[in-house]
Amino acid sequence: MPNNTATTIAPAQGRSDFFSNALAAIVAIGVLIWAWRLSGGVGEPLALSVLLGAAFGVLLQRSRFCFFCVTRDFLEGRDARGLLGIIAALAMGTLGYHLIFGLFVPDAAAGRLPPDAHIGPVSWVLAVAAFAFGVGMSLSGSCISAHLYRLGEGATESIAALAGVLVGFALGFATWNTLYLAAIDRAPVLWLPAMTGYGGSVLIQLGILGGLALLLMRWHRPAAPAAPAAPAAPPGLRACLFGQRWPTYVGGLLIGALAIMAYLRVAPLGVTAEIGSIARTTGAGFSLLPERLQGLDGFSGCATAVKDTLLSENGAFIIALVLGSFASALAAGDFRPQPVTLASTTGKLAGGILMGWGAMTALGCTVGTLLSGIMAAAVSGWVFAFFCMLGLWLTWLLKNRR
Amino acid sequence: MIVANAIRGAVALAALALFTGLTQASTDALVSTDWLANNLDREDVRVIEVSVNPGQFERGHIPGAVNLRWHTDLVDTVSRDIIARDDFQALLRDAGISDDTEVILYGDTNNWFAAWGAWIFDIYGVDNVRLLDGGREKWEAEGRELGIRPASYAQGDVTVDAADYSIRAFLPEVVEVASSDEPAAQLVDIRSAAEYEGRIIAPDGVNELSVRAGHIPGAVNVGWGNAVNEDGTFKSADELGALYAEAGVDGSEPVITYCRIGERSSHTWFALSKILGYDVKNYDGSWTEYGNSVGVPVTNLAGTVWGGQ
Repeated sequence: MPNNTATTIAPAQGRSDFFSNALAAIVAIGVLIWAWRLSGGVGEPLALSVLLGAAFGVLLQRSRFCFFCVTRDFLEGRDARGLLGIIAALAMGTLGYHLIFGLFVPDAAAGRLPPDAHIGPVSWVLAVAAFAFGVGMSLSGSCISAHLYRLGEGATESIAALAGVLVGFALGFATWNTLYLAAIDRAPVLWLPAMTGYGGSVLIQLGILGGLALLLMRWHRPAAPAAPAAPAAPPGLRACLFGQRWPTYVGGLLIGALAIMAYLRVAPLGVTAEIGSIARTTGAGFSLLPERLQGLDGFSGCATAVKDTLLSENGAFIIALVLGSFASALAAGDFRPQPVTLASTTGKLAGGILMGWGAMTALGCTVGTLLSGIMAAAVSGWVFAFFCMLGLWLTWLLKNRR
Repeated sequence: MIVANAIRGAVALAALALFTGLTQASTDALVSTDWLANNLDREDVRVIEVSVNPGQFERGHIPGAVNLRWHTDLVDTVSRDIIARDDFQALLRDAGISDDTEVILYGDTNNWFAAWGAWIFDIYGVDNVRLLDGGREKWEAEGRELGIRPASYAQGDVTVDAADYSIRAFLPEVVEVASSDEPAAQLVDIRSAAEYEGRIIAPDGVNELSVRAGHIPGAVNVGWGNAVNEDGTFKSADELGALYAEAGVDGSEPVITYCRIGERSSHTWFALSKILGYDVKNYDGSWTEYGNSVGVPVTNLAGTVWGGQ
């Protein structure tokens, strides 16, 4: 069970390796210089994207914030701590987003949606897309964001999954017009504050999250207590930061805070807009995709425009995410390049294709639609979460029945 | 002698006052960023942002500004018409605008949509409206203060007039001008040369298109960007006068401006009518209406046919 190291305090081999630490420092300094060089004039959002992306990479890597892994931990061992970390992120984000929404849209009932927030149409297409994404997660062993941070840990097989995502996105574009006319164009875009006001929306969201947390804590089966050890000296700062994985709830709270900052200054967190842009631009270049994708550019979400700049804000965010994870993994001794096998590559590619199609059709993935969507009190976020988890669970059941 | 000198002096003073007045009048349409920064606290000044990019206002705006959304506030979203009189009046009153309020408009993308807003204010006879010279870009480039809190004002009591369409051109009038040997107005096409010549129908990445490429017969091509300096501020009245005179537009005849959907052309409408004082109409149907109309005369220098092929 790779990467199932949520609480393991295992000094990795070569952690004190001077070379790894020096390389981590060089990468970190490089990211800072990159951001500094981008910070002049109109490049400010790009510079912020770099810094936020790097921070996101570090947080994902240190707290093992992987939607699939934490769900699998729960399914296999009744370890609910990881899922509680995701709930912590959603609760923190809900509070922060609602605070900002009050500035952006003072009257939530007026029929306007907060700018750029990932609030999408709710239809059976969303349910199918989310389900496919969940199946893809299960097959490939991670969601898209986790594949990106794993790339920083040396998981070369993630390249196959991400390549599959590109193919899946292209398939998503190819089927978009049909699905749009079948359901999406008439689907309601449901935003809780428009129905219940900000107070009601916060209460509903925190109520659901609290209820889920209570259920998870009830089902949680605590790990066997470790053998009593002699009292040790309290760990130093470095050991706290890089000696062990952070509890997922710590990562969750920090990711919630990061999501608030990102929404306020750049855009909601999302990891597929750039991937989608590359797929759309490449597909359009080879005349493989419809020239017009009906209504797509009118929706908020990880919307994917044809590339007109080499480095978009989301592109900078993604590159910095991988670099942040890489530096963090180096410093923690978690960087372990993995050999590639044909069997695992095939599974990751297939899972990636399903995830790409699902993410394109649902206008985002577990980060863009589930995390940012639920924080924004979008009904589409909750629907995505439900069907994504259903797909993941059913696939897990089938895989474990063999 | 003394009397003669006094008369001469009085004449000189009057001439100076008249000249100063004219100079003042020529810049009455604009305020500088310095002026706005110094007058932001005045209760009788209301700053209005009209931007096209969603989220632009929300993520930071001139403190105290009110947001009028071009996509939904100032237009009828279905019929492609301008906002109705009663709705416009209610919108302004909600923004705390009264008859004696001085309105300053600004926005993104070089004030295109703010200028369009100024055109709407003019159609409904609201006076005391000026444009922030250089718009959002200049305000930001100078590192001036931005706020994120929405402003809230007591209800204003402004009364707006019925729509005055003497500054709005409609398709039949434009077709008549295009078809006439002695046209009643000069047409100014402010799009790019490639669009004007019919080599392309529209710039890359835009959704609103027409079937045919080219321009309205008789139109001269003066791109909107020629009217501004590098920092986005309008060129001086003298420079603007010379620029358009070079294209044969000197204010001696009525003018009609157009672009693709009617927003950039309101920027040129503003320069010609508010800074130069010419008699100008904005054709808001513009090329997306004209280029899709059946049987209207079109000049296509590139000789392209359907779809620009």
